[in-house]
Amino acid sequence: MSENTFMGVPREKVSWFPTIDYQKCNYCMECDKFCPHHVFERREAEERKLVVANPNNCVVFCRACAKTCGPDAISFPEKPAIVAMIKRIREEGQAAP
Amino acid sequence: MKYAILPCNGLDKAAGQGSREVALWLVESGHGELVCPVLVNNSPDRYAPVLGELPLLVIDGCATQCATKLANRLGRKIARKLQVTEEAKRMGATLGKSLRMGQDGLALASTLAALVVEQTDVVGRPSSEEVAQADYVHVQEQIEVAHDKFLFKVPVSGYLFNENDVWVQVSADGRRARIGVSDFVQQQLTDISFVGLPTIGAEVEQFGDVGYVESAKATLELVSPVSGRVVAVNSALVDAPETVNAEPYDKGWVAELELKDVAADRDLLIDGPAYASVIEKKASEYS
Repeated sequence: MSENTFMGVPREKVSWFPTIDYQKCNYCMECDKFCPHHVFERREAEERKLVVANPNNCVVFCRACAKTCGPDAISFPEKPAIVAMIKRIREEGQAAP
Repeated sequence: MKYAILPCNGLDKAAGQGSREVALWLVESGHGELVCPVLVNNSPDRYAPVLGELPLLVIDGCATQCATKLANRLGRKIARKLQVTEEAKRMGATLGKSLRMGQDGLALASTLAALVVEQTDVVGRPSSEEVAQADYVHVQEQIEVAHDKFLFKVPVSGYLFNENDVWVQVSADGRRARIGVSDFVQQQLTDISFVGLPTIGAEVEQFGDVGYVESAKATLELVSPVSGRVVAVNSALVDAPETVNAEPYDKGWVAELELKDVAADRDLLIDGPAYASVIEKKASEYS
């Protein structure tokens, strides 16, 4: 069983993490400076100087990094779809022998 | 209600221009006095009378929150906030890339200004205390989770939690519930400077948004532990957001909901001792 879980579901099965819109991102790095979970990583030598390197570190339902984003370049999935996903996985887990 | 109105007036984004237009609309329609961000930054005394007399409405263009940060730096308590980008998104409107406001942008600004005026009655009035008092027991015995110099408290019973650090306390009659943030969160955020109260009457799904708390460190959206309809908000937090720091489980409650299906919601909630284990793990990951 995975050590990192959210509501009893292995974290890697919950697809909640930020997506960067590179048309909008100005690489101010405010999101990276804020996030204590190291979800982002800087890639100074690359064209995309910031990437979502550790999506499973992201706290499910947290959108605090997007709240720091002036250019509004960070988006997250719709919550109801994720809640439904979590419930389905939990039910499958209970139904399993 | 009249406000001292502080827009960010940002020149580098359409949203900044939007903040200016919303502010001008409100001033011209008699809903407050303008506070110029540039001038108040250089000469705070210039606006001391108006800031001393009127509650402060801050209008930020974007999530950089320059106006909010300015107000905090000046030591001014924020009574009300509006963020143009967020509101535009909520309305399905786009601001465009031009730094000059077009007809669409101006129309959006006047809509947002009208929204401020419309919601003032709801936000400005005292909460329905008689509703919110509905038989909630005060927090009794608490578990103490020690980590470094911190001591995080969790009520042993009477409260349920989600893993997003929001608690729910169901009223004695089982029909309503109060929600708020945990002691762990208030200590992580440190001094809470503003509480974004949800709108009375709003329907909220479990894990949906139900307001936010803000400090110099971060803005934390409240992830609702239960589904229901917002029937009361703790408007005392407008004047005293620090109550969330002082009494997160009692006087620092944020909203009261009329419950929709608490039996189903409970499946995805945990009790005090289980939540204490969650924060033990979280605290160790932060260090």
